Amino acid sequence: MSNDLVRVTIDEREVHVPKGTGLVETALAAGVEIPVFCYEPRLGAPVGACRMCLVELEGIPKLQAACTLTATDGMVVRTARTSTKAAEGQNATLEFILVNHPLDCPVCDKGGECPLQDLTFRYGPGNTRMSFEKLTFEKPIPISPAISLDRERCILCYRCTRFSEDVSEDGQLVARNRGAMSVITTFEDEPYSGPFTGNVTELCPVGALLPTQYRFEGRPWEIQNVPTVCGMCSVGCNVNATVREGKVKRILSRNHPEIDEGWICDKGRFGFTHLRSADRIVDPIKRVRLRGFEPVSWDDALDEAERLLRAARGRVVVALSGSETVEQAYALAKLVRVGLGSHEAMLPEEVSHGLDAYGLPLSAIRDAQVVVVLGDVSVAERAPIVDLWIRAARRNGARILHELDEQAVHDADRSVLIWSGPGGRGGATVAAHAERLGLAGKPGCGAFYLPETPNGRGAADAWAAASDEEPAQAESVGLLIVSGDEAANDPNVRALAEKAESVIAVSMFHGLAVGWADLVLPGTSYLERDGTYVNLEGRLQRLRRSAVPPAPDELAWLSQLASRFGVELAPHAPSVFAELSERIYGGLAFGEVGERAPLRGYAGAPAHVEAPPLPEPEAARGGLRLVCYKPLFSGPAVERVEELQFQRPAAEVELARDDAKARGIANGQAVTVSHNGTSVQLRARIAKDLRAGVVRIAREHAGDLRGTVEVSA
Amino acid sequence: MAAEASPALVLGGAEEQPLRDLASYRAVGGYAQLERARAMTPQQVIEELIASNLRGRGGAFFPTGRKASFIPTPDKIAKPVYITVNADESEPGTFKDREIMLRVPHRLVEGCLIAAHAIQSRSVFIYIRGEYSTEYDVLQAAVGEAQGAGLLGDVSIVVHRGAGAYICGEETALLESLEGKRGQPRSKPPFPAIEGVYASPTLINNVETITTIPVVLQVGPAEFAKIGVPPDSTGTRVFCLSGNVVRPGAYERPHGITVRELIYDIGGGIADGRKLKAVMVGGSSFPVMTPDEIDTRLDATSLGQRGLFIGSGVVTAIDDRACIVQFALRVAQFYMHESCGKCTPCRVGTRWLVQLLRAVENGSATEHDLELLLDVCDRIIGKCLCVLGDSAAMPVASCVTKYRDEFHEHLAHGGCPFGADSSLDRLFAPVDQHHLAPVAHEAGV
Repeated sequence: MSNDLVRVTIDEREVHVPKGTGLVETALAAGVEIPVFCYEPRLGAPVGACRMCLVELEGIPKLQAACTLTATDGMVVRTARTSTKAAEGQNATLEFILVNHPLDCPVCDKGGECPLQDLTFRYGPGNTRMSFEKLTFEKPIPISPAISLDRERCILCYRCTRFSEDVSEDGQLVARNRGAMSVITTFEDEPYSGPFTGNVTELCPVGALLPTQYRFEGRPWEIQNVPTVCGMCSVGCNVNATVREGKVKRILSRNHPEIDEGWICDKGRFGFTHLRSADRIVDPIKRVRLRGFEPVSWDDALDEAERLLRAARGRVVVALSGSETVEQAYALAKLVRVGLGSHEAMLPEEVSHGLDAYGLPLSAIRDAQVVVVLGDVSVAERAPIVDLWIRAARRNGARILHELDEQAVHDADRSVLIWSGPGGRGGATVAAHAERLGLAGKPGCGAFYLPETPNGRGAADAWAAASDEEPAQAESVGLLIVSGDEAANDPNVRALAEKAESVIAVSMFHGLAVGWADLVLPGTSYLERDGTYVNLEGRLQRLRRSAVPPAPDELAWLSQLASRFGVELAPHAPSVFAELSERIYGGLAFGEVGERAPLRGYAGAPAHVEAPPLPEPEAARGGLRLVCYKPLFSGPAVERVEELQFQRPAAEVELARDDAKARGIANGQAVTVSHNGTSVQLRARIAKDLRAGVVRIAREHAGDLRGTVEVSA
Repeated sequence: MAAEASPALVLGGAEEQPLRDLASYRAVGGYAQLERARAMTPQQVIEELIASNLRGRGGAFFPTGRKASFIPTPDKIAKPVYITVNADESEPGTFKDREIMLRVPHRLVEGCLIAAHAIQSRSVFIYIRGEYSTEYDVLQAAVGEAQGAGLLGDVSIVVHRGAGAYICGEETALLESLEGKRGQPRSKPPFPAIEGVYASPTLINNVETITTIPVVLQVGPAEFAKIGVPPDSTGTRVFCLSGNVVRPGAYERPHGITVRELIYDIGGGIADGRKLKAVMVGGSSFPVMTPDEIDTRLDATSLGQRGLFIGSGVVTAIDDRACIVQFALRVAQFYMHESCGKCTPCRVGTRWLVQLLRAVENGSATEHDLELLLDVCDRIIGKCLCVLGDSAAMPVASCVTKYRDEFHEHLAHGGCPFGADSSLDRLFAPVDQHHLAPVAHEAGV
């Protein structure tokens, strides 16, 4: 080990670091700050553009950009602390940066949390010698409905363009013009779109790229950042919710190096404004007479709920959303299963424990040599951050396959299988592949299933933990409890509601539940809850209440309702968790879940889980297999966020190149997709990651198309 | 000096008529050195280059043989190795590569092929300045002819046209541009010899350097090393004599000729009976020379002693009509326009220099601004990602320090004392030559 260490002297302090450690990190290890603007290791190779990190290196007459150097043995470095020359260099850089900077800190949203401000105070000149007209630009320019750009504040560190080029690889943000007139822009001035655009607002070290939602919404001394977990998909990115006066004002990443590496998607970042949607339900709503609905008091609502529960005489079905916290799902289960003896739940998607023996942190994807992505749905649509890990793997030289090439998996030391799409049986299918390929226990190897819901696994496990009884086959549905908006939005749940004698729906939005449920209780969002979620890795993570919900949360009224049926249920997440943890999480204390939760895995996970046989591949009969998917930018929350509307999926059908070619279809061409007499007009898009024989359409554009379709120009 | 007596080497045979076609080049012994080189081992060719002490003619004066020896041999690396010829000649005052390409295109091709043999490369890119359209045609024709005659063997030569950016003459920006990216310099290390084009080892040399390679083999490295001013400044240069001289042109002479000899003996002195005021030596990127320095010999050592540079062999005579502030302003404007915008000191500093010089020129500056001007130069020099920032600051700073009286006159006079009499005629193209994006408006100054 010590052979790999090198000795570096920074400002007369000796430090030993592994060979090749960046000089900025080496200095940090010695307790010395080398200030940077453009340097950001997550963006790939350093560029040395901003010149903030100039240091003096013994033996080299010219100042060097520390960010571009790595530690070598015997290196002697002097930073601005001990070298006048380096201090002058840094001072010069800051003077230049500020020459054209508008210094409008008092009205800049970045003010108070701005690296440029901070470093200017520490290293910069105290006054200005620039007496000429500063460079001015039209501002702010919306580079998308979600992000505005102030080119006067921009210091051209190229972090944003490097993110776009080298991390999300969308190539949309570019620099235009040259020299002092260089500006950041999108290609052809199109709006900057894609799953990850918002990350540039956090990368920007000044107030140039800012989220429009946060414009003039708060100052750093008025806000608090609540560390929580995103509940928009199954990745469970760690985030900070910026809160001012009890309201969420923005979402920031909170780097969990194993899960998200500090990147979050735009749905997670910009989707929070659904909390203040105009049609938010704040009071219980009860059906009166045949078609009337009116708000009622909570006492009346609980009376009505009790009446409906009793009237169902044990024939209760609970439709879960998969977005309930573990505690909510458990509380609901305990009420219905223990209190009423009804055990039937409608789960939002299949859940399998088959993958527990192949668990890995998501970051392991980056280190894999072979990544096999099966299932035919774009990873970014289902679990966006996973897409970034796969891109990172490819940049590291990994092969990314969309067919299961068993030889390639066998030949690699580290392979990862990922199932993204329908037919995955909750992970059982990909677990069976992993077992057959001998990935169990092989270091760096594993498999992932990308669920459609953020906490499907946690909700299913909690439901199961509440009772050991099996559901009895009921002739009819006495009461359907619809838990959450995704369930309320689900056509299958709606169909069951038609058959149910009565319906209680828990929903955040008027538009979703009012009209067909007998009683609607106000729902809450993941940002308003305390509790835990289980992400797609099987990692238990802690949600913290960031904003106060406009109505009592689910645990509060569930506990009251439960008491009417003789069921003891605490109204607080920690107590509910304590009860449940004894059963399924080995007694882990709520406080121990952790703010950057470790991947604990499941003790005694079996390497073999009985999986149903794989469906036979579609025989080539001239038709194309249609895969309908739920787009990332869809669903009840996204529909209520103005800034995300431009990101909604276009009315497109995606085809593999060969299939398009065989049909004489060009990219962007209008086509007809038909099946059994029904047809839909869409635009063709040629997708590189799609297998031949498969076409892909977002669910909202697929109409009644099912199964095998034909596409014609 | 026996300057006139020495024979032309790089332009040899093309003194009267350009040697554009293969037959005429062959008639003066063309491609004989390629044949000889191919009979040698690659290592032997590199050793001959090292022995000749041929140094880069693009401006950096790096030993060519040593640079070639940095390229890993095929047994050391699994990647292909490339040769990139820098023909993006854009420095104000420099036009030697253009003359070479027009007059001895085949010698350049021969040099490329010898270099390819030396580093065992099968791929040569010639990155030619976009505005050089005739030169491109001539070169392309020569490459085609050489290929037709089977001279290329398994080597391919691609002539790639630039798109009008001075910065792409910087070797790493050239590589970026060649790869289809925005032309901005890369941070070094890694150096191109290790990671150049397509992250593979790449030998980058200037047109004149490559064209000198057949010459080295022809006269023999030992003889070549005696030409000029050994040990450092060996061989000849194609000097670019221009400005207010009677007979401007590209003159090939050995290193060591003095500026006076070039201007007065070869160039016929200052035109229109004017007086010499300053000389741009090496190119617009370097400090200017005053008339009392013109007996300095044009070799790296002699110039270096005076803080001057041989650069790309430029000697531009500036006569006494020129206002030195206007000259400095025009130089600064050029660099402001050509700064790529990647690193802070250059991007911001070049514009600030223009603003300060304009204030001096129009009389709104103070003594304090002169000090600020020098300080801004100082804050640019040695702190940028590439040399473009230094290239802007060094000539400006030299104008202030060497012609301080004239700057003071501007301050005292409340503006330019020359009035309408000043002229940068034959020195620079006018500022508004950029029809689509005039310099002054574009940078918002």
